Amino acid sequence: MNPKNNLLIGAVIAIVVVMSYDVGVDPIAFAEGLPNLGIVLKEMTEFESEHWGTAFWAMLETIEMAFIGTILGVVISLPLSIFAARNISSKYVYAPLRALLAATRTFPSILWAILFVIVVGLGPFAGILAITLYTIGFISKLQYESIEAIDYDPVEATTAIGLSKLQLIRYVIIPESAPHLLSQILYMFDYNVRQTSILGIVGAGGIGFYIINYIKFFEYGKAAVFMLVVLITVLIIDWVSVKIRDKYIMKAQHGQQVKVKTN
Amino acid sequence: MVTINTASFSSIATLSVIQMRNVSASYDSKSFVLKNVSMNVKRGSNYAIVGASGSGKSTLLKLMNGMMIPSDGVVLYNYQKPDLKNKQYRKSISKIGYIPQTLGLVKNSSVLDNVMIGGLPRLNSINSFFKNFPKEELQHAHDVLKLVGLDEKSNRKVHMLSGGEKRRVAIARALMQKPDILLADEIVSELDAVTAREIMDVIRDAQKKFNLTAIMIHHDMNLALEYANRVAVIKEGDKVLEIGVEGDKIIDFQTGDMSQKEILEMYNES
Ligand SMILES: Nc1ncnc2c1ncn2[C@@H]1O[C@H](COP(=O)(O)OP(=O)(O)OP(=O)(O)O)[C@@H](O)[C@H]1O
Ligand SMILES: [Mg+2]
Repeated sequence: MNPKNNLLIGAVIAIVVVMSYDVGVDPIAFAEGLPNLGIVLKEMTEFESEHWGTAFWAMLETIEMAFIGTILGVVISLPLSIFAARNISSKYVYAPLRALLAATRTFPSILWAILFVIVVGLGPFAGILAITLYTIGFISKLQYESIEAIDYDPVEATTAIGLSKLQLIRYVIIPESAPHLLSQILYMFDYNVRQTSILGIVGAGGIGFYIINYIKFFEYGKAAVFMLVVLITVLIIDWVSVKIRDKYIMKAQHGQQVKVKTN
Repeated sequence: MVTINTASFSSIATLSVIQMRNVSASYDSKSFVLKNVSMNVKRGSNYAIVGASGSGKSTLLKLMNGMMIPSDGVVLYNYQKPDLKNKQYRKSISKIGYIPQTLGLVKNSSVLDNVMIGGLPRLNSINSFFKNFPKEELQHAHDVLKLVGLDEKSNRKVHMLSGGEKRRVAIARALMQKPDILLADEIVSELDAVTAREIMDVIRDAQKKFNLTAIMIHHDMNLALEYANRVAVIKEGDKVLEIGVEGDKIIDFQTGDMSQKEILEMYNES
């Protein structure tokens, strides 16, 4: 460790301390409040098992919302990402589009959900719109970045052959940038399930509606059932994503000979 | 003009495919990569271009297919000035079969998809978007794949092929263009001697079959002499072994004109 690093670490610690004081971080309040957490946790272990069914259906609705939102978002993102790629589109198209996409990513989907509840009313549809919008912002960015990173050689070679722009996009740009798409979609779906689980807090459908209401009325045992269902679902989706990734994406990127470790 | 053995212009077969007149090329508008180069590529000729690394060989080919605009002088392809923005011209360059030094294959696509790219300028937008290829295009793709020896591997992804096989795909794509001239940039330079000759034989067969004019850049003078009937040497610097206008960097000779020993001596001097 050289002195320069020590200085840097010291500075970071100092900044954290000053900022903590500024926003009112209070370790004593935390220590004093800890027993409350014990009470909540104890109540949470008293599952009220007649709620498993409701929780299951609420989770199903959540997954459906996340799925629709992810697919809609991806479908809309694909053409948008082409218009937003600097190596394909004109400045007058990509510059405003990128700003717009950045704006959709600036706010978490729960804020968009509030907006859409105002527009289309309470319920899952508002949630789907929020998830769709957020997915558009996110996937478009990932896609235009991978379009901008593609190998320039085939672009040059096919331009010399005399391909039109549309043919270039269809035969060079998409095949060269698509390999990452499946992995991006899986990641996005995983993320969207977790996002959708809390959209119910603002009345935009999904399992979050139950969680927030039971917590509000101190029914931790009921809330715990719903939270546990979310946890299990997310773990399952995570596990399935890994399997899909291993099976299709590893192979596509490194050829057939990759051995997927089985345990 | 470079050529001294000016053949008679009496038959259409001797007409120029590509003409370059006093062409200079620059990437930074300060220094020139090529200066005052003239060349006349006659229909049916089989050129090899050799020269030291960085002497401007690739640049010369890019000038010929319009990928690069000369800073001075004119390049004509079938007596037309290149203009990639012009749709009519794009159609006409689609008949310049071009294999760049890096091959420019779409690695995540299949062999067949890569080959079909060569025929896309003949297809309309809708058909090409939905990969709705007419029967005769598929037949032609099948024929050229057979000619390069890859018909068994047409569904294989390009990134899974060997170096020699990738070159065969690039040749097939160029042939799919139904070219009247083939420009190939060091297509065998990175291959071992045996594979290099296999690939050159494939090209020779294709040239015969489709009656192709060819300009091929070579790293290896021996290959150039073996497969071409005219060789142009691009020389660095001011020392001009001149055949043509002043300032020419290109020496052009018929392979039969000098003995192999003389040529290699001259080449090594340069
Ligand atoms: N895109 C470019 N931008 C700037 N300079 C370039 C570019 N391409 C080539 N050059 C320069 O132009 C000169 C000629 O390059 P060129 O590729 O034509 O040479 P070459 O004879 O094909 O060489 P090699 O045998 O190594 O392929 C080199 O000095 C090179 O650095
Ligand atoms: Mg080169």
